[in-house]
Amino acid sequence: MSGTELAGALAGEIAVAGLRYRYHDGTEALRGVNFTIAPGECVGLLGPNGSGKSTLLLHLNGIMPDKVAGDGSIRIAGQAVTTENLEWVRRQVGLLFQDPDDQLFCQTVEEDVAFGPQQLGLAGAGLDARVEQSLAMVGLAGYGHRATHHLSHGEKRRVCLAGVLACEPTVLVLDEPTSDLDPRGRREFKALLQGIPATKLIATHDLEWVVGLCSRVIVLDGGKVVADGPTAEILNDEPLMLAHGLERPHVLRHHHPH
Amino acid sequence: MLKDWLGHHHGHHGSPVHRLPAAIKLGATLVLIAGTVLLPWAWHAWFIAVVALLIVAALLSRIELAFLGRRLLLLSPFVLGVVLVNALQSSVHARWPALAARSGICLFTVVLLANTTPFGKVLGVLRSARVPPLLVTTLALMHRYLFVLLDESERMRRARASRTFQRQRRARWRVLGTVVGQLFVRASARAERIYAAMCARGWK
Amino acid sequence: MHIPDGFLDGKTAATAAAISVAGVGLALRQVRRELPPRRVPLLGLAAAFLFAAQMVNFPVAGGTSGHLMGGVLVAALLGPSAAIVVLTAVVIVQCFLFADGGVSALGANLLNMGIFGAGGGYLVYRMISARVRGLRGQVAGVAFGGWFSTVLAAIGCAGELAWSHTVTWSAGFPMMASVHMIVGLGEGLIGALAFAAIARTRPDLVAERTPASGGALPGGVFRYGMLVAVGLAVFVAPFSCPLPDGLEAVAAKLGFEGRGIPGGAHVPVPDYRLPGIHSAAGATALAGALGTLVVLGLALLLGHLLVRRPEENAVKDSKQDPAQDQRC
Repeated sequence: MSGTELAGALAGEIAVAGLRYRYHDGTEALRGVNFTIAPGECVGLLGPNGSGKSTLLLHLNGIMPDKVAGDGSIRIAGQAVTTENLEWVRRQVGLLFQDPDDQLFCQTVEEDVAFGPQQLGLAGAGLDARVEQSLAMVGLAGYGHRATHHLSHGEKRRVCLAGVLACEPTVLVLDEPTSDLDPRGRREFKALLQGIPATKLIATHDLEWVVGLCSRVIVLDGGKVVADGPTAEILNDEPLMLAHGLERPHVLRHHHPH
Repeated sequence: MLKDWLGHHHGHHGSPVHRLPAAIKLGATLVLIAGTVLLPWAWHAWFIAVVALLIVAALLSRIELAFLGRRLLLLSPFVLGVVLVNALQSSVHARWPALAARSGICLFTVVLLANTTPFGKVLGVLRSARVPPLLVTTLALMHRYLFVLLDESERMRRARASRTFQRQRRARWRVLGTVVGQLFVRASARAERIYAAMCARGWK
Repeated sequence: MHIPDGFLDGKTAATAAAISVAGVGLALRQVRRELPPRRVPLLGLAAAFLFAAQMVNFPVAGGTSGHLMGGVLVAALLGPSAAIVVLTAVVIVQCFLFADGGVSALGANLLNMGIFGAGGGYLVYRMISARVRGLRGQVAGVAFGGWFSTVLAAIGCAGELAWSHTVTWSAGFPMMASVHMIVGLGEGLIGALAFAAIARTRPDLVAERTPASGGALPGGVFRYGMLVAVGLAVFVAPFSCPLPDGLEAVAAKLGFEGRGIPGGAHVPVPDYRLPGIHSAAGATALAGALGTLVVLGLALLLGHLLVRRPEENAVKDSKQDPAQDQRC
């Protein structure tokens, strides 16, 4: 598999072209989505409910490669996502689900963070080191022995992030990471993400949060990309925001965009 | 109240009992229970020794005795019924004091085990004992999502109850049926998402 | 009816354990063969669901009902083998975490609630849903199967207690059977209501287990039937013969009675017997049969009431979560 001799320059690039997807009952969730994200960029994915954001994110992790109808394509670091290279795709793209309980399925924190690396073949001291490192990255050093069902919501989210980071992905995809977080939790999470060098695509409703974190936003509505550009420019465009079920965040009303 | 019981004593105390390896605690539990159930009542020495051991272990574990006491006193109507009927019959061999004592001792043992041993460790022992992986995974996921589903069911029940104005019993049954049905649907959907999450991190 | 430690003697516990280990082993093998990988987490979640469902209905001190709820419901939704695995997990967790049910009695509890309960109940469910077409038949099957499973489990329990000489059959059986014939009504009712509710919102979950016309049973079901028969033969049949206290009557004949019970005082109270059970053994059987038929009728009626439009049988294509039903 040519994945391993991946060109470093492309590592972490996401290229989506003409992506289409239909549900079982025929409704089109995605109708030709196009965008390219450069390595290291942090992009916000905005849009009203039902716009197809979650569906798009699942595609990036290869959770539904074969249902692509028409001539859509997804390329991660230049490699097309197909059923053959799913394993490789999942190593490159770390997906953080909306409900941390869905993702945190092991008994203890260290078991859960170790899950990903274990699947990748790590074991023993190397595994322990990776787990500790990942927990430290999210500020939860020493939490290894804690039972997962006893954690607070914010802690669960951070453990999920640790579990994903433990696989050392080049791309990080997050689905509504701040829902159910209190303001401090949101600030802390933002700071955490800013410290991670991977390419980031973040689907979120939290417009205030996006400002300062994402340099670029893509707006999705009705399964299509309706806007794609610098954060301040798009978020300041009030008519555009309102037309697609969003709004201009207050943070920008009192700031001057730069 | 359920959360009251479930493992809030794990690892919070560094007691010697908590720190014992799970395999030893599990093995000891099995031996204790087997002996208590199988040995004749006339072997008083065994029963006295076991009770003494349990009391020492309970004290060493630093679990609140009130908590243990409450747990021990919970007797289901079924158990009470059987003991009562037994007391009224002369033709049975098992006598009710022996009955009560044996089951009480075993109950105490299991309660101690449950409160000094994280469930994950017990699962680890099961895995090493070559219990089929499918069963161990099922146990693990059940334990993990017990609270999650309990919370969901509680929320649903309260939501339904707040919208139920009929006082008849018929409405109550309907509500129960719907809540149970919905709970299963949600559990099923969650199971699919968990599978997706497992795949996303490389599970084959 | 979780039997605690100390109520069953060694031979009973061991025999029950042997039968249930066989049954659970069979179920595990069947599940590995039949269940697609993406449904594996569903086993654990269904187990958590059963537990939570019990709490919803019986939020009293123990949080556990006197019997296990939902075995037949799960069997109707996931199949008998998966249901047995699920119930095994539930019974084990209840035993170790809640001390509900003894460790030595694990085999017996599994036999009663898993094999007799879910397995036996499922067989009955299949019989009804094969005869009465469509969703109505399934709902009626879940209702009657739920009731039946409760009663069957109770009878198995009585047999085990009798074999261990903890409670005589002549006292245990009527009590357990009559109480659980009432308790089982609740089980059947809630199971049916839940099944109907699931069918309304997610017909796809229900359609998967619709028996194919012609009634080819899913793999292993015949073997469960055999296990149920074996269990009944060991624990119930010896007592159901004309001599109400089967084994003891035999022992008396052979001169073993009155040997003295080690450590037990002889209590001068006449043997407790239900008035007239000897001569009215036939009457009891008749009453039981009538009761069963009445419940069957109620179950069929329930199916009729809950499924207003028989065309609900058709599997509607519902908009599903896109994460489902994907090859991963």
